[in-house]
Amino acid sequence: MPVSIFGAAFHEQKLVKKALESFYALGPQTSARILAKYCIHPRAKIGTLPPKTVTALTAELSTMTIESDAKKILHDNIKRLRDMGTYRGRRHAMNLPVRGQRTRNQIETARKLNKVERRG
Amino acid sequence: MSAPSCLRCLVRPSAGVTVSSLPRSSPLAVARAAPFSTTTANLRPKKEVQTGGAPKGHVRSGKMLQLGKFKKGKAGDRGRTPAPGERKAYRKRITLSNDNAIPVPWLTDLGPADLANPANTARIMALPTEVQDQLRASEAFKPTQCWGMFRKPAVLVRKETIDMANRMQNAADKRHTLRLVVSGDKLTGKSLMVLQAMAHAHLNNWVVIHIPEVQELTTACTEYAPIPNTDPVQYMQPVYVLKLLQAIRRANEGVLSKILTVSAHPELSQSMPPNTPLLALAGAAKEPDAAWPVFQALWSELTAQGANRPPILLSADGLAHMMKVSDYRSPAFDLIHSHDLALVRLFADALGGGLRLPSGGAVIAATTRSNAPRTPSMELALAQREAEANKGLGGPSSSGAVEVPQRDPFFRGYDDRVEAVLRSVQVLRVRGVDKLEARALMEYWAASGMLRATVDEKAVTEKWALSGGGVPGEMERAALLTARI
Repeated sequence: MPVSIFGAAFHEQKLVKKALESFYALGPQTSARILAKYCIHPRAKIGTLPPKTVTALTAELSTMTIESDAKKILHDNIKRLRDMGTYRGRRHAMNLPVRGQRTRNQIETARKLNKVERRG
Repeated sequence: MSAPSCLRCLVRPSAGVTVSSLPRSSPLAVARAAPFSTTTANLRPKKEVQTGGAPKGHVRSGKMLQLGKFKKGKAGDRGRTPAPGERKAYRKRITLSNDNAIPVPWLTDLGPADLANPANTARIMALPTEVQDQLRASEAFKPTQCWGMFRKPAVLVRKETIDMANRMQNAADKRHTLRLVVSGDKLTGKSLMVLQAMAHAHLNNWVVIHIPEVQELTTACTEYAPIPNTDPVQYMQPVYVLKLLQAIRRANEGVLSKILTVSAHPELSQSMPPNTPLLALAGAAKEPDAAWPVFQALWSELTAQGANRPPILLSADGLAHMMKVSDYRSPAFDLIHSHDLALVRLFADALGGGLRLPSGGAVIAATTRSNAPRTPSMELALAQREAEANKGLGGPSSSGAVEVPQRDPFFRGYDDRVEAVLRSVQVLRVRGVDKLEARALMEYWAASGMLRATVDEKAVTEKWALSGGGVPGEMERAALLTARI
């Protein structure tokens, strides 16, 4: 039976650490601290968590800037650059490299990622 | 010109008939003439060439080089995939008997006093069936040991065994606690010493509590939770303790059913009136949440003052893992010292002498050499204890000048808590067996049909020397396991 943490459903066999790290802007450092805070050992699976801990985790995650909140901060930063009319802002808007790389070739990553509404 | 028998296949035409004259057009006839052939595929009639309509697939299908990355349809039938945990269960399985081995007629079962009797030195003795079950319940056998090669599990009674069993017996008689660390090189039989200690304890109706691998407690792979109202905070490990309780229950069924509780335990969810058998108390924990209080209650009953309790053997394998900072983290994200884990602390207190066993008994821990974290304090403390013991005996050398090793003043990695625990333990160093014991071992192997050689002075000396001076594990490698390598 899947367990729901912070609105996402996880399989019972998934590691709690991996489940936490599946949220945007939540990495190994933060997940290790969350695990320690609730006394969950690093190799714990979702299925072994008592329901109390699951709700506590959800409550903990809802206080953090993760997922859409973190993305919003990123978008705001790029948008600010664009609105100020800076070079970096313009380069973002044009899907071009921002940090002075050459643009003759090999700019697929920039084309993919550098947008005002950046993916992640 | 063709050879009398076909070189490319095993179809053997009769003499005088050339291969070319074989009736190619009727493969059935060939099949009848030669039922075994490697070239049936070639002889099979070609499929009808498709006439009209586009050919299926690529024109050159089957003739193109297929690189691994682009290979299509890797499926194939891979058979049944193993169920979760199946491979591990196979890896960790323990076989205690081999029906193909020859039963050894002169093998006698161990009796209660046999391991302490010096007359049994250098004899192989079998473990009685009930002791086998008890040892298996507390996971004393390990998959790396060679139990599965012989008809029934048997152990070599060594000088060290006699020494240890006598120390245990003396401690139990005087109601003292023997605190012993079994140390030694790789494959010298440290775990087997613990097993023998457990066998001795079971045979003499002690209560045995065994931690088969200490690393399971301290490498952060089992659940943990802070124990409320403890300062400094201690942590319980409910899932492991539940497993341990079940093992204790199965291993000590006979002894525990005869002991009755002296006090009611109001803190438990189940009511336990006084004079309940301890077996029922040990079985009171059905789920991990209840395990630690039940274990505490069981321990307080086993060490109750004034009540007539049997001696207790606390044993553990892999001491180094107990003597380090564990991999667990506290809610404040600090690493937890192993001695702050409640179960480990209980063992460490008993080993350090802080926790007395009123009815006597023994605390025996074995070190490991193959899977051990670096613990400078433990190594130093064990070396010191050993040197002190040698000093007391006058030293191994004639000069008697035994240097007790001291701390390196320029090294920071020492741990005071570890040294406090190991300040007064006894150290039993296990070395290789002597030639007499080696001969007993090899004779047993030969009698079981596992060693196909005459066991004489020369063979024994050879294997003894090959194994670095009679290190039993190396002797097994040199004599028993040669076919496997």
